[in-house]
Amino acid sequence: MSLLDVQNVTHTYDTGTGRPVLHNVDLSTKEGEIVALVGESGCGKSTLGRLIAGLHEPSSGSVSFEGSDIAGLRGKRRKEWRRHVQMVHQDPYGSLNPGLTIGSTLAPGMLQHKLANRRTVQAEMIKLLQQVGLDATPVFLQRYPHQLSGGQRQRVSIARAISLQPKLIVADEVTSMLDVSMRVAILDLLLSFQRDRGIGFVFISHDFGVVRYFAQGGRIAVMFYGYIVEEGPVEDLIKSPSHPYTHMLLQAIPVPDPVLVRKRDEQGSSPERLTGEPSTKGCVFANRCPLVQDVCRKEAPPLKDIGSGHRTACFFSDEIPPLKHLTVDEASPQATRL
Amino acid sequence: MNSVNTDDQTLLEIDDLTVAFGDGAGSVRAVENVSLSVAAGEIYALVGESGCGKSTLAYSMLQIVPQPGRIIGGDVRFRGRGMVTMSKRDLNALRSAELAMVFQGAMNAFNPVVTIGTQVDHILQAHPEVFPDPKEGRNHFEHLLELVQLPPKRIWKSFESQLSGGMKQRVAIAVALLLQPSVVILDEPTTALDVLNQRLVIDILKDLHRDLGVTIVFVTHDLAVVAEVATRVAVMYAGRLVETGTVEEIFKAERRHPYVEALINAIPSVLDVGLTVEPIGGAVPNLADLPAGCRFAPRCGLAEEICQHTEPPLLGDDGGHLVACHVVNRNAVPMEVSEA
Repeated sequence: MSLLDVQNVTHTYDTGTGRPVLHNVDLSTKEGEIVALVGESGCGKSTLGRLIAGLHEPSSGSVSFEGSDIAGLRGKRRKEWRRHVQMVHQDPYGSLNPGLTIGSTLAPGMLQHKLANRRTVQAEMIKLLQQVGLDATPVFLQRYPHQLSGGQRQRVSIARAISLQPKLIVADEVTSMLDVSMRVAILDLLLSFQRDRGIGFVFISHDFGVVRYFAQGGRIAVMFYGYIVEEGPVEDLIKSPSHPYTHMLLQAIPVPDPVLVRKRDEQGSSPERLTGEPSTKGCVFANRCPLVQDVCRKEAPPLKDIGSGHRTACFFSDEIPPLKHLTVDEASPQATRL
Repeated sequence: MNSVNTDDQTLLEIDDLTVAFGDGAGSVRAVENVSLSVAAGEIYALVGESGCGKSTLAYSMLQIVPQPGRIIGGDVRFRGRGMVTMSKRDLNALRSAELAMVFQGAMNAFNPVVTIGTQVDHILQAHPEVFPDPKEGRNHFEHLLELVQLPPKRIWKSFESQLSGGMKQRVAIAVALLLQPSVVILDEPTTALDVLNQRLVIDILKDLHRDLGVTIVFVTHDLAVVAEVATRVAVMYAGRLVETGTVEEIFKAERRHPYVEALINAIPSVLDVGLTVEPIGGAVPNLADLPAGCRFAPRCGLAEEICQHTEPPLLGDDGGHLVACHVVNRNAVPMEVSEA
């Protein structure tokens, strides 16, 4: 049974434009699986994450957890679902209450869900601090968020999420505001919970490097203006993208190697139409697509299976050119990290 | 126009600069004894993590270090003229003629209640010496908007709320170039942009450098962006310069500061599967409580006894590739003591 099932979800924010931010989105994950949502700003990836975490109700369609539509959950079962799906937000400065100590941030959830009582909660919290790599002392529980660095705050947010022993964590751009030297440590910490406790992740990021590192062995769904345009296993999708938008995203990534950069620049300039509005008729990507043909402006391509769990919404997925600079590790053996 | 290839035509020179915040016991030195020089036609990257002093260094290039920060030692020279002791009047004239800055979060720098065009007109009116005929100034701005790949007519009439974050960042770059500066300094120009807007800004910086011959100094924490754009790089750690060289030297040279090595290895890349990615242990030191000796020593795998008590000098070869590390420099021969 799948852990999470997003079925035909369309969502519109009440802003007066009436334009949906999500269109007929389908997505499911299994227990302990990592699914990454990738796309440019405004593509709907955070909205989808928030619907999955139950922060909004979809305008139409359903989000089911362990087989039950979450909109219909009541009482004890609703409370249980609440505990099982947790969220870690992007901004470690905005997502912790500045007026609460770390202890007061962590304790209420565990008490509410009876995962600790008044006598044991202190010891449980210190255990949590240790699990997320913070200073595991009673003094630390007395600290306020403003006394901590961004990396430490993000660890507190993670402690808050895992304190409820969830089955799924929605992680929304959790490393984008951290320094480079902190990022990998935070990703490794989250991965350890996936490995040791089988916690599944919906991992939202616009950084393919981070996604490839975190979601290895999992899946990626690429979103464009409210549509999932491609979805598939991480390595497969990154090595041979089957949608021109995914190709464009991968080709745009800055390469941390000046020699490769020069080689690539010698092969030609960046594609045009890197940014711009979506098309309102036919394929949503048609306005910006380098491969666009007449049919794309008339008809929207369905998200269809192209084998080995890989789906794409493009009529011309066979014509996507190979990536220019991402092929350097072709010769090296596949790494297995998880 | 400046030519892109010059023989050490120094434009901006930072000479043994120290910037302190606060005074007395609570004072910290955000930048300490930093020397570097930017030649005409370079794209110079200042790199480091939060709090390393890279933005403060960029601000001091314009003499706009925010209070309570102040320059307590050294000088900043533009074409040989010392800026620290310059009169306010001369400084303003120099800044408006030669230097421009795009601040971090420049997308939030516009006045929300007047159009972009009106704001540009205000700048042109304040500086009649650059474009005596405002029409000429407007034409120049339209040309700049084309260079940053925006539709001039539409942008001129827009309010900032009608533009996306990525568009606003590019308008801010065009505005900075309006008065035809010879140097433009950008603080984190690609931060907070998604990968496509980031790519666009990277391409645009290269285009502007090529087409206008403008010298670019930019501050970033993103080494991948450095590899894409920069010709020369300075890496800072806890207020000190730890390594400086050409972009190839920083990324490819054998002799490299262990911090730079660690930073490069900490980038999760789409190029290589995660095997070599390693976080840097520990944390950046508190500037008010610095370790004696090398500031990176507590996090450094190579640290030896000498690193615990003696700060390493910046040493280099003839080409200007300088590294501040006892261990790396001892193992590399031959070598000369640089004046920096």
